Amino acid sequence: MDIFVLVKQVPDPEATIRIKTDTELEIENKYFTNFFDEIAIEAALRLKEKFGGKVTVLTVDHRRVDALRRGISMGADEAVQIADPALEGSDPFAIARILTAYLKDKPFDLILAGRQAMDDDSGIVGIALAEALNIPHVHSIIGLEVDPSKKEAKVIREVENGKEHLTCPLPALFTCQKGLNTPRIPLVMNVMKAMKAQIKKVDSASLGMEPNKVGSSSLQVKVLRYLPPPKRPPVKMIKEDYPENVKILVRLLREEAKVL
Amino acid sequence: MALDFTFTEEQEFFRQTIRDTVNRMIMPRVKELDEKEEFPWDLWREFAALGYLGLRHEEKYGGMGTDTITQMIFYEELARGSCGFFMSVTMQILMGTYFIGRFGNEEIKQRILVPAIKGEKIGTICFTEDQSGSDLAGTRTLATKVDGGWRINGRKQWITNGPIADFATVMATVDPKLGLKGLNFFLVERKTKDRDGFVSGQRLHKLGSRCSVTGELVFDNVFIPDENFLGEEIGKGVQYAGEILNEVRVMTGMSALAIAREAMEDARQYANNRIAFGNPISKYQLIREKFAKFWAWYEAARTFLYKCAWMIQNNIPCINECMLAKYHATEMCMYAVEEAMRIYGGNAFCTEYPVQRYWRDAKFLLYGGGTHEVLCDYLGRVYCKG
Ligand SMILES: Cc1cc2nc3c(=O)[nH]c(=O)nc-3n(C[C@H](O)[C@H](O)[C@H](O)COP(=O)(O)OP(=O)(O)OC[C@H]3O[C@@H](n4cnc5c(N)ncnc54)[C@H](O)[C@@H]3O)c2cc1C
Repeated sequence: MDIFVLVKQVPDPEATIRIKTDTELEIENKYFTNFFDEIAIEAALRLKEKFGGKVTVLTVDHRRVDALRRGISMGADEAVQIADPALEGSDPFAIARILTAYLKDKPFDLILAGRQAMDDDSGIVGIALAEALNIPHVHSIIGLEVDPSKKEAKVIREVENGKEHLTCPLPALFTCQKGLNTPRIPLVMNVMKAMKAQIKKVDSASLGMEPNKVGSSSLQVKVLRYLPPPKRPPVKMIKEDYPENVKILVRLLREEAKVL
Repeated sequence: MALDFTFTEEQEFFRQTIRDTVNRMIMPRVKELDEKEEFPWDLWREFAALGYLGLRHEEKYGGMGTDTITQMIFYEELARGSCGFFMSVTMQILMGTYFIGRFGNEEIKQRILVPAIKGEKIGTICFTEDQSGSDLAGTRTLATKVDGGWRINGRKQWITNGPIADFATVMATVDPKLGLKGLNFFLVERKTKDRDGFVSGQRLHKLGSRCSVTGELVFDNVFIPDENFLGEEIGKGVQYAGEILNEVRVMTGMSALAIAREAMEDARQYANNRIAFGNPISKYQLIREKFAKFWAWYEAARTFLYKCAWMIQNNIPCINECMLAKYHATEMCMYAVEEAMRIYGGNAFCTEYPVQRYWRDAKFLLYGGGTHEVLCDYLGRVYCKG
């Protein structure tokens, strides 16, 4: 099976993030692989181990390749970075267009992605790519079985109060949700391999992308303003004694916190 | 551009990988490891399966042959987790296998180094005795030449991994009258049905780093064959020990960085949330000063340690630098854990909060790689000589 896995490097939860201007963030230089993408890599590797084939990790990122190295350290065979200054500032739709341009002539059985990226939480790229490639997709899967001879996959996804079992012809695109698997911890041998790995770079011109179709000039979604999370309100002390304090607490929970 | 303080993108990736591995494998168990005070065999096997025990050994024995800076990044990140586990792992990677990798013959390397790198055999190094710690010349464990080999007699104390060790690199004297010139390293294995060897003596219960097991090894007229003499010629043991100490000291410094940082990051969070006299205590200047001092000393310690790692990697003589850096980083860490204890107020004194564990764990830094009295006595002498 030939599998592509879409991966993204996102700010580490420990990284400090500040609002620089209304539409610009200043992010500390600490990145790691999007959590859901690791689940996708793991799913791809398990299929490769069962049926053979090749796993390629793919990112659109002009600056960083951490997630590609992570993919190789887990066991992916190849890594491709679509990198071009022109791509800077692309929105999820532009990213999907770039990926479409790269993947449209490539043979593959399956594309896996995370259900969303943990930085912008948009969850658009995978689905938009599937639409553009005109292949079926299932979002947010927690179970995956493949029958390569029938070119078919059985997937499970969580829906409210239950699970939905689906079959889907291949090639297809699935986005992966927590619960599908536990990503492996890489062996040092593969970590070293990943440190030395040659990463294939592709630029947008070679994909025939018109400059106005990518980057900040192509935005369909625009950030108008970033707002910091609200400051924690001060603690309210109830000074009265029992039973008055209970009555006040219930009233506050009902009227101010509106949780009752 | 000769001066460059940046890590490469690859080194950053390596650090991130170790960090993630430690976060997933070790962090959730740190409290339990400390409380149980037992060697965590399951964690050891899981961790060994990843291959890190071969970090600095040759590839043909299953190692990775990494450079010094990569190793130090590994130590710095690993020490964020359980300090006891860190001690067991570094004993295996560095001190416990170094002389076997360097002087063992092919048969010994296949029989001992290869399984050690897989974590299947556990190694240690033995200097300390009841009457000799800093003062190696006081070593009384005796190696007597006999036909085809040596007989070893003596007791070693404070041996990390001792109670579970399969093999040990043992410092012994061929003649106590020779002092430092009589000292040599020998490979001794644990006694089995078919082989003479050491047996375990008393196990010690420690203040900190509690999941690394520590104890006494007893050598009762143990016969070892000639090839178990680890060295090129007799009398060079102290010189050989000196050759590994740079690495040991910088490695110890790396764990000082890690413990100090964990303690102070926890303390920062505590100080930002703990309200006293109407304000978070981090608003008070006396509390802020603790963070500022720590920060200054931490940055200096880290830069100095990586400079030493770089010197080792480039074969630049750096014995004094490594001593200074270990001394400085460890004192910085003592300051950090002490002040973290104060920032936590009374809560520092209960086991619910990890700060007391950092404080207990950190104390081991004072002894390994030379006590500070011994290091400072030496360094002061060197400095005054000019
Ligand atoms: C957790 C832990 C693990 C250990 N693991 C090992 C191990 O695996 N293998 C091993 O061989 N050892 C091990 N040790 C022992 C360690 O190496 C010794 O504790 C260390 O060498 C110091 O020796 P000592 O404890 O005998 O102290 P001593 O040498 O007796 O020193 C006692 C005090 O006197 C001071 N002092 C000594 N000489 C001088 C001097 N010339 N001038 C001024 N002051 C001086 C010291 O600084 C110290 O304050 C371990 C120790 C600990 C705590």
